[in-house]
Amino acid sequence: MIILSTSDKGGTGRSVTSCNLAYRRALQGSDVAYLDFDFGSPTAGAILSVSGAERGTTSGAGLHHYLQDRVAEPEQIDVWSASEREGLRGRPMGAGRLVLVPGDQGGGEFPVGTEMVDRCIQLFLSMEAEFELVLVDLSAGRSQAADLILSATAARQLQAITVRWLVFHRWTRQHIIAASGLVFGERGLIEAGTERGHDRADLENSIRFVRTAVLDLSSPEMAGLRPPQAAWLQSCNRELQELATKTKLGRTTMLGSIPLDPVLQWREQLISDNDVVFSQIANPQTSQAYEDLAKRLVHDEAWMSL
Amino acid sequence: MTSGTSSVHRATTHRPDPGLVALGEVRTGLLQHSAAIPHQLAERILQLVPGERVRLSQRPIAHALSPELMAGVDCRLAAASGTHIDGTGTVLTRASITGGTVVQASARAVVGPARADHRLPWSHYMARPGMIETRGKIEVDDLAAGFIGQPTSSSALDLSALSRRMMDVIQGSSQLDHAPRMRTKRTRLRWTARTVTAEQPHGLVEFAIEDDVLRTLQLRTKIDRIAMVASLCENLALHDWLLSTLLELIEREQRGAPHAPQAVLRLRPAIDSLLHLWMPAAHIDESLHPVWEALERRAGFTRQWEQLRDRIRDQVTLSAVTLMSVVTEGSASE
Ligand SMILES: Nc1ncnc2c1ncn2[C@@H]1O[C@H](COP(=O)(O)OP(=O)(O)O)[C@@H](O)[C@H]1O
Ligand SMILES: [Mg+2]
Repeated sequence: MIILSTSDKGGTGRSVTSCNLAYRRALQGSDVAYLDFDFGSPTAGAILSVSGAERGTTSGAGLHHYLQDRVAEPEQIDVWSASEREGLRGRPMGAGRLVLVPGDQGGGEFPVGTEMVDRCIQLFLSMEAEFELVLVDLSAGRSQAADLILSATAARQLQAITVRWLVFHRWTRQHIIAASGLVFGERGLIEAGTERGHDRADLENSIRFVRTAVLDLSSPEMAGLRPPQAAWLQSCNRELQELATKTKLGRTTMLGSIPLDPVLQWREQLISDNDVVFSQIANPQTSQAYEDLAKRLVHDEAWMSL
Repeated sequence: MTSGTSSVHRATTHRPDPGLVALGEVRTGLLQHSAAIPHQLAERILQLVPGERVRLSQRPIAHALSPELMAGVDCRLAAASGTHIDGTGTVLTRASITGGTVVQASARAVVGPARADHRLPWSHYMARPGMIETRGKIEVDDLAAGFIGQPTSSSALDLSALSRRMMDVIQGSSQLDHAPRMRTKRTRLRWTARTVTAEQPHGLVEFAIEDDVLRTLQLRTKIDRIAMVASLCENLALHDWLLSTLLELIEREQRGAPHAPQAVLRLRPAIDSLLHLWMPAAHIDESLHPVWEALERRAGFTRQWEQLRDRIRDQVTLSAVTLMSVVTEGSASE
């Protein structure tokens, strides 16, 4: 299965959430590969604490160079053995493989030709042959990376593979409108995908939204709010919900919602069970939300036709 | 032997210089298809050059071998000492499908010093398929070691890229359904074979498992065998892949619920499709069988394989019994 992570804007929490989902899925026993296709800003190495690849790899064998035919094979980094974070080192009992295929440091966007589409198809085929879950972190918006992927996934050879999209957005007016535009807009993913040979209904059915850094109004921290503040937040939330429904980002197309977490507000990282149970710096709701969303990624019922 | 490799053989015999080294890389992977494919389909997929024959054999195991493709190269060669060595010539690549199930893609060349000290017209190199001629003297051990240790992103002769591309072409074929029954890794075997005179010791020098996908093999061979070494390496890579894949499948099955009988039964398709492929030294020239045997003594391939196979069979039998008793107990208590 290939999961494509995208968002309309940068800074939505796409990379941090995607890394946490890859991590959770591996803990749940799947072999997972994380492909950093965010060529402008490959941050996965930093989130996974892989030294030497914090802002993409410097080996010259990142995805960017692979797609440009400058190397035959993209580098694969085994996160369980390469992570600098003590709690991540060593594959836990029952966990699957967790492999990072990094971008290149100093990459940037590039023109997409038919040869590049072919290389992308071959990359997906070889990754799918090896990993149960291939998670691809794309650049924000209708980027070159998104166009490349839309072309590649329309290819005949990839039709036997399950391909799903996650669109990340924050829980604000502007983010909701932007995410809706990215998917349903005139120059949106569905339009662009249909032009490239995707079936419109199938493509639409393979897209779900994920809300990030959402303030949980029922959480104990909210108890300290003054009554007018609480009332204002409640009414704001209702308005956002209405807006989301109107722009097709409502309950039916939403796959999950990740609460705002103080750790992530300050640092881009994986939330381990250690962070929740022992050091107690992260909220249990956050790790639970990742855990649940990681299961829903592969749960066919959550992806039934709408 | 195929037409391509026998040409290599011809090219080397008319100049009996012992200072040659063959370099190669073999990739092995599971064919991306839901079932073992019949001979005719393997033939169509491997028909890389229109008009050139795909070699098919049924015994002792179904094996289809593509025609050889030739690619011109004019590049630097990696030397362990860092010495700058340039070479010009051609590389051969080919692919095979064994048992309708396992794909191999390999690239190789024999490197030796040129007679002339300048670049010759291409027709000269084209007439020597799979030969690369270096300008200036070479140290075969230095070249062999340089090739074995060559990093993936290197500007030197890149047989890895050629074998990967060949693999991608076969696996990307639109004749396949891309719905394999299990997920597996692709492995790579990087090998060298340097020539020695008849009096010098020959055979296995070293076989090493470098990481979870890369293996290296170093051989010494008499010059008249050099063309056959590629088949030996492909056969070895196939068996190494079978062993690694079975180990990987077992590890993955036990990851979820260590002793669940269902987990073991899920191994069934793997057992069925892989177990009968174990056929050491099939299609290998008899003169090279001693190399297999030496490897067997050191790496114990067959011993490991038999242990694994027996373990799986025992588990499957045991699980079937357990499942049966669960079912009968269940119905008895109703
Ligand atoms: N659930 C969350 N709670 C608080 N902050 C978050 C959360 N998820 C992500 N963030 C923070 O948001 C910022 C942007 O996240 P990032 O994943 O880099 O975004 P993107 O990949 O969309 O550009 C980071 O500082 C990250 O730590
Ligand atoms: Mg990012």
